[in-house]
Amino acid sequence: MTKELVAMILAGGKGTRLEALTKKVAKPAVYYGGRYRIIDFPLSNCANSGIDTVGVLTQYESVALNNYIGNGEKWGLDGVRSLASILPPRQTEEGANWYRGTADAIAQNLDFLDSIKPKYVLILSGDHIYKMNYRTMLENHKKNNADATIAVLNVTLKEASRFGIMNVNEDMSIYEFEEKPKEPKSTLASMGIYIFTYSVLRDALIKDLKNEDSDHDFGKNIIPYLISKKKKVYAYRFDGYWKDVGTLESLWEANMDLLDNKQDVGLYDSEDNMKIYSEDTKSVPEYIGKEGSVKNSLLNQGSVVLGSVEHSVISNEAIIEENAIVVDSVVMPGARIKKGAKVYKAIIGDNVVIEENTIINKEKKGIVLVKD
Amino acid sequence: MYKVLGYCNLHHTVELGPLSEERSLASTPFLGRYAFIDFTLSNFSNSGIDRVGILVKEHQRSLVKHLGNSNVWNTNTKIGTNAILYNEKDAKNSRYNHDVNNIKENDWLLLREKTDYVVVAPVHFVMAINYQEVLEEHIKKGADITVVYQKVDNAKTHFESCDIVTVKDGIITDLRKNEGTKDKVNISLETYVISMKKFEELIYKTSKVSALYELKDLIAFSLHEGNVHGFEHKGYVRCFDSLNHYLEYSLELLDYNVRQKLFLPNWPIYTITNDTPPTKYLNNADVKNSFISNGAIIDGKVENSILSRKVIVKDGAVIKNSIILTDCIISSDAHLEYVIEDKYSKVIRAKKIIGTKEDPVFIKQGDVI
Repeated sequence: MTKELVAMILAGGKGTRLEALTKKVAKPAVYYGGRYRIIDFPLSNCANSGIDTVGVLTQYESVALNNYIGNGEKWGLDGVRSLASILPPRQTEEGANWYRGTADAIAQNLDFLDSIKPKYVLILSGDHIYKMNYRTMLENHKKNNADATIAVLNVTLKEASRFGIMNVNEDMSIYEFEEKPKEPKSTLASMGIYIFTYSVLRDALIKDLKNEDSDHDFGKNIIPYLISKKKKVYAYRFDGYWKDVGTLESLWEANMDLLDNKQDVGLYDSEDNMKIYSEDTKSVPEYIGKEGSVKNSLLNQGSVVLGSVEHSVISNEAIIEENAIVVDSVVMPGARIKKGAKVYKAIIGDNVVIEENTIINKEKKGIVLVKD
Repeated sequence: MYKVLGYCNLHHTVELGPLSEERSLASTPFLGRYAFIDFTLSNFSNSGIDRVGILVKEHQRSLVKHLGNSNVWNTNTKIGTNAILYNEKDAKNSRYNHDVNNIKENDWLLLREKTDYVVVAPVHFVMAINYQEVLEEHIKKGADITVVYQKVDNAKTHFESCDIVTVKDGIITDLRKNEGTKDKVNISLETYVISMKKFEELIYKTSKVSALYELKDLIAFSLHEGNVHGFEHKGYVRCFDSLNHYLEYSLELLDYNVRQKLFLPNWPIYTITNDTPPTKYLNNADVKNSFISNGAIIDGKVENSILSRKVIVKDGAVIKNSIILTDCIISSDAHLEYVIEDKYSKVIRAKKIIGTKEDPVFIKQGDVI
């Protein structure tokens, strides 16, 4: 059966700067906001954009992520016309290959795409937190009769040197792509979200595969190649909340955004019909004890607060015992903060136990990660 | 390995006053995120019983809504089944609309599954029970029927209209209605294990004794054969049979020592997910000894209470000893005590709504007050 639009989610990244958090799981599987994993966002976006066929490309520590994705039922992708397909690297007649880059990962799965024969392919990252209706982007792509459309975010001039920057004409067609420019000419940063007309993408990927000097990367190789070949490449401006949680600080900030930032990802907005779906953890409702106190925080089902929680995000099955204090922190699923312990400005990893009367980040400097 | 068919029997569910006027007890919200039937279906699921027929008497609308995706309770979604069984023929004739006629009317399930045993379980007794343990005992004793019961010491004031059984050397010798004359009795938990041969005999033959006999009457009729055994269940059991008891037993579960008797390790209670975000507590939130469900936004005072999904408690509002169901809004300066507020209602103009433990105030679904 042919599909108009198929999504391919790149979820193989390690996320080295998240330190021990990604020791055993890939970055897209990292917990966020008390009940989510980061990959819930692109997968829910796909579901909410009416995309029913999604390939998820996994590589680094893929077992937990593959189990989590399963048949896609958490995002409703297990319906009659839906497909959530996990695509890890594989052994073929030519031998076994790891994914050598984002473009290579897609190139190695051209057979998957060929079997579906999509008209357009949407390339996504599995590790960004945002809500976006990809249909609107596709309409834009079709209206421009484009070969490729790249979602861009307007960043500050200072930030621009950290991103791939698009230099565009008045009609938003891209004439130049600069990777992390020292002196940016524009502030339109690539979000790593691409829609390609499949036939164009297919040809470009096959050429790129044969190029031994290529890094096989969409930003570095494929996009510049298409621009050089005078293909119609357009930028698509996105204005909502978008966060790439590459570091512990940004993961912490993204969590705190749910408490402080009125322009956050909008988990409580129902008007937009963009609910974020996730695993249901079979938890009992959260319980706050007789001496418990919770202020300015998010708590997920299954958590128990007998101590005090302020300005923090507490995940399912996390337990804050009597007289324990949690401030400005993120507590991941199943973690236990024992009696009298104090936790400031920290990320407590899943199932970590903070022993009685321990103090974490007493100086409240930087963000401290506690993880086995 | 033997095969077991489970019947979730809703023919004897009791009314919880206005709360169950338009819904079955089975689909009545409980503890913020559950419906009562979740406990029975989870007991079946956790006991490894995947083939379940749900005997529905009435109010199927709310039940069908809750069971929309019944795969939630199945281990194997192909082998497993949660069939909704409804006796359309006798629907309008309450005397005839009983469990035996429902089973007969829908005996396609019985004939299709060809199991060796049947387990029948109600939903108004809330408990965590492993039916496999009852089955093993049933097989060991060579019983035709096993009735699960509990020894209680408060039957004068509780378990109204439940059945009392007399047990002698493990054999049930008498089964009759609780008249409330004695406190210390054995209450039948209306949970039965029946060998298939006996079950077919009851349904197709014994039932000819009287067209109005329900399953428990047929069991009572079989007592003289001397092969109806008793199985004592010692864990947590509460019979939800009135609005007062609904409030009392729900709030009682706020106590950890009570709660841990119902929520056992490795005995998860499955329910449908609504994908609501975590609960948001704002600056003025002051919550003590309460269950709060996901999607709620709280900026007021909540004490000894249970809040369902997406309840909004505004700054200055006070809620004590109350149960607030899904999607309710409690405005600033409202003060609620001993209130049961049904779904989608809003407290906007009323400032003080105070009931008592014995006589809680009920706010109807969707009402604005």
